[in-house]
Amino acid sequence: MLEINTDKKVMKGKDLITVGIFSAIYFVINFVIMVSSGLSPYIWVLMPGIVALLTGIPFMIMTAKVQKVGAVFTMGLITGFLYFVTGQFTIVILITFVIACGAAEIIRYIGRYQGFISNLLAFVFFSLGMTGSPLPIWLFKEKFLAQITEQGMPQSYVDILESITTNNMLVALFVAPIVGAIIGGIIAKVLFKKHFERAGIV
Amino acid sequence: MLIAYSEDLIKLDPRTEILLLVIVNIVAFTQSSLYIEISLILFLAIVLVTCKCYKPACKWCCIFGLLLILQYIIFPISPQIISGTFAFLSLYFRKIIPCLMIGNMILKITPVRHFIFALQRWHLPQAIIIPLSITIRYFPAIREEVSHIKDAIKLRNISGVEKIECYLVPLMISATNTAEELSAAAVTRGIENPVANTSIIDLKFSIQDYICLTVGLGFIIMTFIVSI
Repeated sequence: MLEINTDKKVMKGKDLITVGIFSAIYFVINFVIMVSSGLSPYIWVLMPGIVALLTGIPFMIMTAKVQKVGAVFTMGLITGFLYFVTGQFTIVILITFVIACGAAEIIRYIGRYQGFISNLLAFVFFSLGMTGSPLPIWLFKEKFLAQITEQGMPQSYVDILESITTNNMLVALFVAPIVGAIIGGIIAKVLFKKHFERAGIV
Repeated sequence: MLIAYSEDLIKLDPRTEILLLVIVNIVAFTQSSLYIEISLILFLAIVLVTCKCYKPACKWCCIFGLLLILQYIIFPISPQIISGTFAFLSLYFRKIIPCLMIGNMILKITPVRHFIFALQRWHLPQAIIIPLSITIRYFPAIREEVSHIKDAIKLRNISGVEKIECYLVPLMISATNTAEELSAAAVTRGIENPVANTSIIDLKFSIQDYICLTVGLGFIIMTFIVSI
């Protein structure tokens, strides 16, 4: 007998495609900011925050459209994979990404995929995943600085990097994405009301 | 952009390409020896040339040479501001050139469906393959959309902060519409069918794949020797 598929929790073709498209947009914004943060160590530390600020919109739209298990995790997976392909991957970032996406998924599950607040919280945790990029500087300070000096970085840059990696900046590293994500999410909400809900896409 | 996929092209199995990418990533980022870096670039250039990607091979070698010159000759003698800002970028870019070379080769000689088929052979779940391939396919579409929107904005003389909103909102709406159309087409073609797909493609490892993988393995071994 034909079984009508009433499974509403698992992502199907349409959801997978939606996730794919918005992951592309998320990755592009993320990548552009990541590359620009190579210009200055200060920007690099704030990079997760800037990313959170600007990627609120694609993320919130996707979570509004795909209210199922695994959407956020897949987005993180794709972003991580594409970064791996372009050579910007470390074990640290892998761990932070997994933790961040896992936490985001759990929050969404608890919030039953409805409600702006739970999606916003999920976004906050998701954005924290990017902190894995500058994090090795704090974690393996000596080794990292030695490695990049050996690879030919000018001493001035290394000095700036060393002076930045204080405990205060570590706090800033984690606070920036939280603040950025909240603001980004609010901006998304404003745009939702102004445009997207009227256009009928959310 | 895709070289006509003819039979007399020496083909690399997509799986080899992915494995090479992994190898190159490991080698490029876990050691600092310049000699290994240069020999890796040379190896990849040879692979590119064998696959008839002459121009990219030349291009990447030139860029690499340029960055080397920048780093070892120009930066030490230039003012703080320039070397401080660009040194990091140029170093990083130089490090990822091997990855970009392989990426360039993949884009030129491997059709996306071969790639997807290779991933399926590796038993990656559909839940990952489908979004991944859509993401990759959508990048050029984003570029096109953004250029259309840019033209439209120019037509209406919008300026300032409103510009950002005017870029983002149409982009999101068009993305959603694309998603709708794509999924309608895909569902019509049976994407939600749980039965495994059959394929006209047959992927086999051949001699050039083994050679590439062996050389790649050699690089990894060298990397470990150097870093110990």
